Amino acid sequence: LYFHSGEREEKCIIEDVPSDTLVIGNYKVQRWDIHKQDFLESAPGLGMFVTVTTPSAEILLSKLYGPQGTFSFTSYLPGEHIICLQSNSTRLVAFAGSKLRIHLDIRVGEHFLDESAVQAKDKVNEVNLRLEHIIEQIHHVSKEQNYEREREEKFRKTSEETNSNILWWAIVQTLILISVGIWQIKSLRDFFISKKLV
Amino acid sequence: MAAPWLWLLPLCTGIAAAAAPPPPPDAEVTFVLPAGRRECFYQSAPANASLEAEYQVIGGAGLDVDFSLESPSGRLLVSESRRSDGVHTVEPTEPGDYRLCFDNSFSTISEKLVFFELIFDSAQEEEEEEEEEEEEEGDAWVEAAEPEDTLDIKIEDIKESIETMRGRLERSIQMQALLRAFEARDRNLQESNLGRVTFWSAFNVGLLLLVAFLQVYTLKSLFEDRRPLRT
Repeated sequence: LYFHSGEREEKCIIEDVPSDTLVIGNYKVQRWDIHKQDFLESAPGLGMFVTVTTPSAEILLSKLYGPQGTFSFTSYLPGEHIICLQSNSTRLVAFAGSKLRIHLDIRVGEHFLDESAVQAKDKVNEVNLRLEHIIEQIHHVSKEQNYEREREEKFRKTSEETNSNILWWAIVQTLILISVGIWQIKSLRDFFISKKLV
Repeated sequence: MAAPWLWLLPLCTGIAAAAAPPPPPDAEVTFVLPAGRRECFYQSAPANASLEAEYQVIGGAGLDVDFSLESPSGRLLVSESRRSDGVHTVEPTEPGDYRLCFDNSFSTISEKLVFFELIFDSAQEEEEEEEEEEEEEGDAWVEAAEPEDTLDIKIEDIKESIETMRGRLERSIQMQALLRAFEARDRNLQESNLGRVTFWSAFNVGLLLLVAFLQVYTLKSLFEDRRPLRT
């Protein structure tokens, strides 16, 4: 998967993950060449700042990588982690037509399975590696299910709170309306009586 | 005599399995689409595979976005306007880069939180399994003869089951991601509902009291004695 971005633009991806989950990202960035009208195969000197923000707005990872790299982090809190990529290009924004192509692959809960490395090993080790990968995937599915259960509970609480809030506010508003109405009439009646108009 | 042929058989199954390139890994992305912006994502696809694109707007007022899907040859395959979710399958796929675009230009103030998933299915997998089954039936007499080949064949069996399991697990993970997106959307909606109910109810009560006092005060001030005191 890849997408385009301006040279100084920051692009962010949100990953909602349970706690204690490994998230691995693999990226490659290419720069647009005005003369060749195509993206350069490699862009030496170009780096990417990778910033990961936790749900509690703390910075979990903030590092500068080269034009191609792998970053990873383990989540402590469950929730939405924001992964942001920004190039370290110091060129002025006014340079029109410059854009970057960012290839990105993010894996949650499992390591990348490098097919060529796996097939290069002997038979038994290959089966070993594949099995380990599957076990990782299963653990991840199980963790996600638990996390989903937590969030569904939170959702249900919010719904019930909204429901009771609506009812409570309606009752309070009606009572205030009635009492203010009574107060108004009494106050005006006393006023007119004191002014000898009634 | 017979020995060279025995060596060739497992080699053939090995080659058949390695011939088709593995389908690209499935991608799942959640991102913020700012107001008035259009974001495009590209995904390369092999030939003759099946690509499924699924998207869901999980946050933002209105919960809708424009979606479009273009083939590598530039042909517009799908164009949807102001939808909150959608599923599209392209089969068979042309080799090249497919382009998915999400457009929020119609909204000037509200940003959208969009989730989308790309799932690949290699249509060739079924053909490969048939080939391997035929070859293995012919291998029945081989098992009695060469123990090393037996190991290879058993390992191929194990690898096949692992591959099937992996495919099914990937599918489970994708389903989970989709259900998570649905739940996230509903939860965001409900949380904003709660905020709005509380705010507007408090506002209502405040306005009520203000208007009541204003009414009484205005009425009283109409009857105030304006005549200046004469000394």
